[in-house]
Amino acid sequence: MKLRILLADDHEIVRRGLRALLEKHEGWEVCGEASDGRDALEKALQLNPDVVIVDIGMPNLNGLDTTRQLLQQDPHFKVIVLTITDSDQVIREALDAGARGFVLKSDAARDLVSAVEALQNKRMFFTPRVNDLVLAGFLEKGHTVSRNEAPKLPTLTAREREITQLLAEGNSSKEVASLLNLSTKTVETHRSNIMRKLSFHSIRDLVVYAIKNNLIQIELPPPPPKSPAGPTAA
Amino acid sequence: MTIRILLVDDHPVVRQGLKTLLEGRSGWEVIGEASDGAEALEKAKDLNPDVLVLDVTMPKMNGLEACRLLRRQAPQLEILFVTQHDSPQMMREALDAGARGYVVKSNAARDLLAAVEAVSQHRVFTALNGRDAARLR
Repeated sequence: MKLRILLADDHEIVRRGLRALLEKHEGWEVCGEASDGRDALEKALQLNPDVVIVDIGMPNLNGLDTTRQLLQQDPHFKVIVLTITDSDQVIREALDAGARGFVLKSDAARDLVSAVEALQNKRMFFTPRVNDLVLAGFLEKGHTVSRNEAPKLPTLTAREREITQLLAEGNSSKEVASLLNLSTKTVETHRSNIMRKLSFHSIRDLVVYAIKNNLIQIELPPPPPKSPAGPTAA
Repeated sequence: MTIRILLVDDHPVVRQGLKTLLEGRSGWEVIGEASDGAEALEKAKDLNPDVLVLDVTMPKMNGLEACRLLRRQAPQLEILFVTQHDSPQMMREALDAGARGYVVKSNAARDLLAAVEAVSQHRVFTALNGRDAARLR
């Protein structure tokens, strides 16, 4: 029986590349694709894949929250997170969310097949950096959190995190309401609560918070070119 | 119509996805790949592609810098940026650097083929998210 894999990444180009990589492996099949976290949740429940590969930086619902919600609904899912960064915070959150694999996107061509093989054999797969953190006792020094515990963000509920991400992505309260099947008034109430809890005064504060806490991931533009040297003295 | 394409992106998975899309077109061939701007310069010199598909954010040498140098090295080469940066300012910088095209990665599956076709014919092709693709002659 083929190993069935669900791919969740907002870039179709990336999904094509991942599919080409994975389907070279005999016995593996990409059974579905999702372009955001909500789509991933629906498709996972519908298709019941053996492995779910989730990009952290997806719109509407990011990969970490998708992982948490997926595993809350069914702890048997095996999730590999794909990320552009392996900061301590991202690693901690991925492990706390219950991911069994952690792969850097830049190394996906090298590591993803090994990651899926590991999960297929009921093992976990992490980058060397994650392993270093584990060996350094990071997880054993009181930071261990079971997958059912709330994430380590100050005071926000799961719903508030969802709304924070959607607002930070540029959606209006009305658009957020439509995406979450809530009333605009409910979203406005959540928004006020979020701003009050985090002592924010503007949407800019919210965006910075969302970036710092990996609710959204951004790629920084390259630095501007250096100005040419001024004229030398005579 | 034959188009020889060099792909430049630091993520092999992205290059694979672009290649799969491009080689679906009869006569189009991905003749090489590079993972940073410096390698792009070398490979462009060796392989002499018609079109170079280029990412912006890369290690060693970013795409904007590579584009400026490539235009001096090979003025006949047409350059198309495929990038995460959905920004009019970045797009202007890319065109000022000498690129003929600019598409956003999230819409690459939709825009890439038309963009490559346009730039191979020396036409400008730019498309940002939420905006209609503009083909400027």
